[in-house]
Amino acid sequence: MNRYLPLSILALAILAFATLLLVIAPGIQISRHAAPPGLKPYTEQELRGRDVYVSLGCVYCHSQQPRSPDQAPDGVRGWGRPAIAADYTYDAPHQLGTMRTGPDLLNVGARLPSRDWHLAHLYQPRAIFDWSIMPSYPFLFQRKDSAGPEDVAVSMPAAFAPESGVIVAKQDALDLVAYLLSLDRTYPAPANALRDDGYSQPVEP
Amino acid sequence: MSKDPKRMTNTRHRPDENFEPYEPHRRIPWPLIAFAGALGLWGAATLLDSRQDVAAEQAERLVADNLKTGQNSEPGSTLFAARCATCHQPDGMGVRAAIPPLSGSPFVAQGPELIAKILLRGIDGPIRVNNHVFDGHMPSFASTLTDSEIGELASHVARHFGESSQTLSATEVASLRGPAGEDSSFKGGAEIAATSGFSLGDQPAFVSVSAGSLAPEISSLVFSGRGEQWACASCHGDLGQGKETTPRLAGLPADYIVKQLDDFAQGRRLNESMRMVVNTLSDSEKRKLAEYYADLRVPSNARPELGGNLARGEELALRGDWSRNVPSCFSCHGPSGFGVAPEFPALAAQHAAYTTNQLSAWAGGHRKNSSLALMERISSELGDADRRAVADYLASLPPVPAGTSEKTASIGDQP
Amino acid sequence: MMVMGLLLALSFVVSLLALAFLIWAISNRQIALDEQAAKVIFSAGEEGKLDSPDKEFADDRRHYFDIAASGIDRISGRPVAVLLIAATFWLVLGSVFGVIASLKLHWPDWLSAYAPLTFGRVRTLHLNLVIYGWLSQMGIASMIWILPRIFRTPLRSPQLTVVGAIIWNIAVALGALAIARGWTDGEEWLEIPWQLDMLLAFAGVFFIVPLIRTTSAREVHHIYVSGWYFLAGILWFPCLFVIANLPVIHSGVEEATVNWWFAHNVLGLWLTPIGVGTAYYFIPKIIGKPVYSYSVSLLGFWGLALFYSQVGIHHLIGGPVPTWVVTLSVVHSVMMFIPVIAVAINQHVLVGRNLWALKESLPLRFISFGAVMYTMASFQGSIEALRSVNTVVHFTHYTVGHAHLGAYAFVSIVMFGAAYHMLPRMTGRAFQWPALINAHFWLIVVGFAIYFFSLSIGGVLQGLAMLDATRPFSESVTVTLPYLEARSLGGTLMTLGHIIFAINVASILVPRRVSAIVSMEPAE
Repeated sequence: MNRYLPLSILALAILAFATLLLVIAPGIQISRHAAPPGLKPYTEQELRGRDVYVSLGCVYCHSQQPRSPDQAPDGVRGWGRPAIAADYTYDAPHQLGTMRTGPDLLNVGARLPSRDWHLAHLYQPRAIFDWSIMPSYPFLFQRKDSAGPEDVAVSMPAAFAPESGVIVAKQDALDLVAYLLSLDRTYPAPANALRDDGYSQPVEP
Repeated sequence: MSKDPKRMTNTRHRPDENFEPYEPHRRIPWPLIAFAGALGLWGAATLLDSRQDVAAEQAERLVADNLKTGQNSEPGSTLFAARCATCHQPDGMGVRAAIPPLSGSPFVAQGPELIAKILLRGIDGPIRVNNHVFDGHMPSFASTLTDSEIGELASHVARHFGESSQTLSATEVASLRGPAGEDSSFKGGAEIAATSGFSLGDQPAFVSVSAGSLAPEISSLVFSGRGEQWACASCHGDLGQGKETTPRLAGLPADYIVKQLDDFAQGRRLNESMRMVVNTLSDSEKRKLAEYYADLRVPSNARPELGGNLARGEELALRGDWSRNVPSCFSCHGPSGFGVAPEFPALAAQHAAYTTNQLSAWAGGHRKNSSLALMERISSELGDADRRAVADYLASLPPVPAGTSEKTASIGDQP
Repeated sequence: MMVMGLLLALSFVVSLLALAFLIWAISNRQIALDEQAAKVIFSAGEEGKLDSPDKEFADDRRHYFDIAASGIDRISGRPVAVLLIAATFWLVLGSVFGVIASLKLHWPDWLSAYAPLTFGRVRTLHLNLVIYGWLSQMGIASMIWILPRIFRTPLRSPQLTVVGAIIWNIAVALGALAIARGWTDGEEWLEIPWQLDMLLAFAGVFFIVPLIRTTSAREVHHIYVSGWYFLAGILWFPCLFVIANLPVIHSGVEEATVNWWFAHNVLGLWLTPIGVGTAYYFIPKIIGKPVYSYSVSLLGFWGLALFYSQVGIHHLIGGPVPTWVVTLSVVHSVMMFIPVIAVAINQHVLVGRNLWALKESLPLRFISFGAVMYTMASFQGSIEALRSVNTVVHFTHYTVGHAHLGAYAFVSIVMFGAAYHMLPRMTGRAFQWPALINAHFWLIVVGFAIYFFSLSIGGVLQGLAMLDATRPFSESVTVTLPYLEARSLGGTLMTLGHIIFAINVASILVPRRVSAIVSMEPAE
């Protein structure tokens, strides 16, 4: 090729074409689907908790997009029904994730709705799952001599408990858990929902 | 850069530093062109083909949607065969001394509205139908049937087994429902007669069996927890209903719950969280918690959610699959899957994800607490698809009716 | 839906036809023009010291140009050095963060008390530092070296590129601090907060303007293939970067499609052009013979542009996006076989016929190895995008191995080779300890082999465990542990190699006390 201007224009035009197909067209299609009635916007505390989730980089080990039973047994593991585009209407930035070093979390609030369980698990995952490689987050908590009236104390088994005093959750931990508990997309999906149906298999006896 | 400086002077190849790269003119090798053409054809075909998958999945979602909203209701006769015939029999004659007949029953003769009320609330307590007294439990279908389905079913029963030609619409059924989840069961035929004012024969008196008040330390365990032992309700729900892979506890036989707690402690059943919880429970606490949950009567929040084939699931539950030596679920787990203490838990209204999860655990060998290794073998014979099918079907069933453990599945008396 | 499928298939067929027509049209015009083009500047009276047995090229003086006499390298040398030094610094720091992240996966309680060192932040630091700090700067350095040479004219406004480098590095440093403190935009490859991204984009202008000015002032009519890749890349990347980082306008799943349109196009329309363009220049340069064919290089370039740009959504297979856009990306991922084979023909055939060059030139070993890894990584990627394969390896460590096969084994190793080739010519000195270059090579090759094979095997095992409902999720974790530990070993070896690279760079840039300016060896 000899001419720079046509080269540049063509290269950019090809990128524009790709953008039309990969971003603009799906974006328009997605925007036509309103949030399902079962999906509520996040509360303020849940949004703060979501910010904590994002800033700690949870997305690098946990996905938030259960797959179809025709493809994988995500539902059998309690991860919920296949996710649809409208499930993420209130999510910015999205946290769909690309790794499952840990389980999918889109419906963790449905299968594990216990605040105290999550606080214990965040403080030290290996107190519950000895095989876990999830990092511990002690900096979301603090040790106090005794829990105050407003404090939420976290009980640990002896091997992980402090020498003396109690572990108390900081506000970030409580907000993060509020967000995790809000992760429940088990309401039914409308028939025309958008998702990758490319694995569809006929229902057979 | 040469590794060995000495070699450089002897090297045969000393490309010119001033050589600047260029591209000679040669044709594209024809295999590459052929390959490109073939891939292009494949690509176009694949793109054209993808639309069929979407249509199929949308149809499945439509069915699931309708199951929830009841927009397409099957005819009453089909509903009857699927939901009622196993107990009341296809001819509506009931089971002697156990299950009341519908045919010729004064309750049915009153028309679809009374039938709908009974379907919505269920009956706990003795009831006289014509010459016999029955003292079992009619489950509530409020949470498993939609308004239009109840309307269809009630109309069918009234027409088929009574003399009525009335039909009941979905909106009329909706108006019969009380505040969600708070419809308590009819306390035997006596309450039906009293509230409806119909002449229904001489109904036996309802003797309330006090369930015993909940001790405060047990209530505290259930709702507040204790140290590392998280509150039962914090995972299993305030109503013991569960969700996804956290099971519904309400209505499970008390002895079964006690056995499971022991199995978690001993490692015969693997769940890290439950293991932590049972660590600090005494035997008497386990027993009292189990009795609390066994007596809980709450609507079902379970529904088919795994895309399983419901017809296949029903077949497995009612008849099994003897080509693979799989007995029917109900032959051990009781009629309608209400459970038989202490070995066989209630399956009805259990969450599909939990049921499949446990079936998979047996098949995979990391749940080992079934007598005679029954469930291990049964579950291994079922494949993934069958496990999902039966789990989805069981989730669609009405929940276990309440009653103390001794009173479940008892036989009626002659007057 | 039927209409959608038909439209897609049609647009795809149109793209193919357009590609074919493009190649035919340009090839035909080119042939005519080239035969007439006699205007090539070269210094009068200089003769090559060629004793290559290939007569075909012996008398073709058009392709010889006395770089040294033209002074082009002298002008390019300073910006290249600045970028190279900065890039090397980020490489070492980024590699250390990578090793820390890797260790944390099997020592989860190590350094867990400090929020900036939590896995989610350390891993992010690693990615952003090696992409924006190391690879991008090294790539721009390579462009600054190569473009003036192929255009036979010095770089215009070299001071601008140095200013750009300073701003760029400030932005990268600030971005790293932000991520460590938890201030992140929250999407993979886009974590640097958009407020700091503006600084990066601003710095980018300082790189683009000199390169375009140089292009406009070029003394040759024909743009050599490396030029297409570089010139397209410096237009593609800013567009991708700005659109993806714009705040406010993206949300929900649409934001996810933008995310993966960006992230994969950064690989294919920025890093790949950097690597392929660099290899396209240095491989024939070092060997002294041209690549295979002009038409094949056209097919490779336009095929990359057309197909690669649409593969991004293969990161969301099985996910909450419309089926048609996933299928589109899967199809285009497989179509990538075509441009990748084209590049392989051009580059590997040349090396294959001249294996002596691998023995004689250490930089070529790096570059050719990297070029072969490009072919491998792309083939692997095309297969990985098939739905059936993707079901197993999606969400597993296998993908991490694949990503490093491309970004590291291909682009980074080509960049190492380029650096080793450019440094002696920039400085007029030779490397004091060639054995260290060899050590660097073997450390990273062995280290990467351990890294790649352990993650690939571990990832497949992990995926199979997740697909089997009768196995608890914990098994997918425990089965990968030994492979994660092996990966830490591999990564440590690679990092040691990088430290040696840094030593080599420092050793040649720092003038020695005893004047030991060795006359440069040709074509090293």
